[in-house]
Amino acid sequence: MKKSCIAMLLAGGQGSRLYALTQDVAKPNMPFGGKYRIIDFPLSNCANSGIDTVGVLTQYRPLQLNSYIGGGQPWDLDSTDGGVFILPPYQTAGETGSWFSGTANAIYQNIGFIEMYDPDNVLILSGDHIYKMDYSKMLREHIEKDAACTIAVLQVSMEDATRFGIMNLGPDGYVEQFEEKPKQPKSDLASMGIYIFNWKKLRKYLIEDENDPTSSKDFGKNIIPNMLKAGEKLWPYRFDGYWRDVGTITSLWDANMDMLSTTLINLYDPSWPIRSRSVAQPPHYVGPEATVVHSIVTEGCEIEGHVENSVLSSSAVVEKGAKVLYSVLMPGAKVEEGAVVEYAIIGEQTVIHRGAHVGAPPDGSEAWGVATCGPRLDIRENASVKAGAMIYKSEEG
Amino acid sequence: MSDFHGIIFAYGAVPALGELVRRRTASSLPFCGRYRLIDFALSSLMNAGIHDVGVIMRRDYQSLLDHLASGKDWDMGRRIGGLRMLPPFGLPEYHRGDYTGTIEALNAVSTYIHDINAKYIIMMHGNTAANIDLRAAIRQHLASGAEITAICTDATPDYRHHRYIVDADGFARSMIFNQTAAGEGAASLEAYIISKQLLISMMDACAAANHYHFHRDAIADYLASGGKVNVFFHRGYGKRIMSTEAYFNANMDMLSAANRAELFPAERPVRTKTHEDVSTYYAEGSAAKNCLVADGCIIDGEIDNCIISSDVRIRKGAQLSGCVIMRGTEIGEGVIMKNVIADKSSTVSSFQTIMGSEKLPVVLPKGTKI
Repeated sequence: MKKSCIAMLLAGGQGSRLYALTQDVAKPNMPFGGKYRIIDFPLSNCANSGIDTVGVLTQYRPLQLNSYIGGGQPWDLDSTDGGVFILPPYQTAGETGSWFSGTANAIYQNIGFIEMYDPDNVLILSGDHIYKMDYSKMLREHIEKDAACTIAVLQVSMEDATRFGIMNLGPDGYVEQFEEKPKQPKSDLASMGIYIFNWKKLRKYLIEDENDPTSSKDFGKNIIPNMLKAGEKLWPYRFDGYWRDVGTITSLWDANMDMLSTTLINLYDPSWPIRSRSVAQPPHYVGPEATVVHSIVTEGCEIEGHVENSVLSSSAVVEKGAKVLYSVLMPGAKVEEGAVVEYAIIGEQTVIHRGAHVGAPPDGSEAWGVATCGPRLDIRENASVKAGAMIYKSEEG
Repeated sequence: MSDFHGIIFAYGAVPALGELVRRRTASSLPFCGRYRLIDFALSSLMNAGIHDVGVIMRRDYQSLLDHLASGKDWDMGRRIGGLRMLPPFGLPEYHRGDYTGTIEALNAVSTYIHDINAKYIIMMHGNTAANIDLRAAIRQHLASGAEITAICTDATPDYRHHRYIVDADGFARSMIFNQTAAGEGAASLEAYIISKQLLISMMDACAAANHYHFHRDAIADYLASGGKVNVFFHRGYGKRIMSTEAYFNANMDMLSAANRAELFPAERPVRTKTHEDVSTYYAEGSAAKNCLVADGCIIDGEIDNCIISSDVRIRKGAQLSGCVIMRGTEIGEGVIMKNVIADKSSTVSSFQTIMGSEKLPVVLPKGTKI
């Protein structure tokens, strides 16, 4: 069945900078903002934008991601002639298959999947961004501007521009130059890593790039520069809403804290629901001695202690006399009596035993950072986990 | 194919629930901030691996249909079998009223019952707040050799109920009808495991004699003719919701961790229709003590001993004590409310005071604007 646009979601990232949290799960499957997994944002955006066919490219720890996405029903992506499909690397007859060697190679290896839908355009998404975006608006602009590729861009400060891929525009408004992390940025329009390509053109560039042995098979490093060199029309689509890349512990923590504000990103907006797969839990319980201030709490939680400026995912437990400050508790995390968790991220099912102390408030020093405990750990009684520490299981178990 | 098939009675007109059931059946009453009463029967069946279930309904079933949808939330959205809605069919033209009794309800859908492809039928009422371990009940039923097992509670219900006098061998000797207080024997939860064959013979006998009542007619006759009724005790929380006061009390019961553990045990989870809700936000200056709060709320005010459903707003300075607040309700600034049940999508504007008592909670009907 012919489609105007299908989406390909790059979910392969190992997330090495989040190691303690992504040891067992792919980054897009990481819990976020109390109720969600990171991948809920692009999947919900697709569903809300009327894109009903999504390929999810994954090669790192895919088991939990597979079971989370399932048939795509929570996002209404379980349609008859579309759907959400997990696309791992695979072998073909007569040749040996290989891992995805770059973002462009991942799409190249799935040309067959894309051709099944014979789309006019392909939307390329990343699995580690938190944002609400109407891709149909971007698609409309892409078609209006007759672009070979439309790149979503965000205006950033000149100071931040050195950390992003920056678009320099020509007088006609089309992209003239693309610079990856420029030392002396000429523009403040940063690429968000969200692209819509004319499929026929992209297909040609993917095949050419695949045959170039010097290429690193990357959209930002190879495909986009090659298209510019060949004189293709690249259009910048300006986005001015909330958008965060959650690739590091600090950015993950920051973005979670942003969820405490409805003015940064409004998740209560019924016209743009962010959906997630959740199993019904009873409402959360707040006990007679509990105090909960400026925090979000999710169903299944049991709170008897003090919670302040924090994000509690489903079924988190804060016992009597325990304190949770400026922290993120992932699903099923438990803080026992008298334990303190501050400026920390606690992984799924991890127990902070009695009297333990995890993290510390910022002290202005270079060494300070958010403390992180991976999933399914036991932080023993009265233990102390320093600010910035990252605790995880050794590979041997 | 399973040997067991579920039938849930959701036709119940329960007049003592008043305004709460004006536009819905007792089975689709919101409960404990997150659920509808019928979720307990559905989840009990689901947790025993029973996926073929018929729901008998009579009138005002729109909210029930909306809640059940395809049944997929209880793994009952199946190609073959699965959840079936049974509105009345095959009723005589002149019959316009409610079903007079369970047997009449069953006879109204008798072709469905006849077509059931399982040996046993598990019958439950949709307005029962109980998480029944049906696997254990089935084991005991099969071991007993009886054709029928009555599921009873050892607690004393606060409504008119029937009691079984149980012999030492675990079988019922006789029944006492329409009890309102504690007494001899065990209270029936009106949930049964029964062989299809016996049920159909009871339905036929009652239809021939113009009888409608399962207990007073069918079971009483069966016991009198020497039939064996095995009794299974449901030990955890178990109440049929038969009045506004009982509804209010059952909600408040859920503030006790022990009751919650009995109604929501980890090994037998209660499933319900999933909603897309955000986590609940507690603002600076809010206070919550001994409350159950569902997702999607914004709490700016003070709440104590309350059950708050999803998507509720409690504005600054509001003080709610002992209230049951249903989905989509908005409580304005400075509102003071005590012992109030606010049905779905109510709005209480700023600085109103509404006081009920525990015995007589004030009910704000669905969509009330004050």
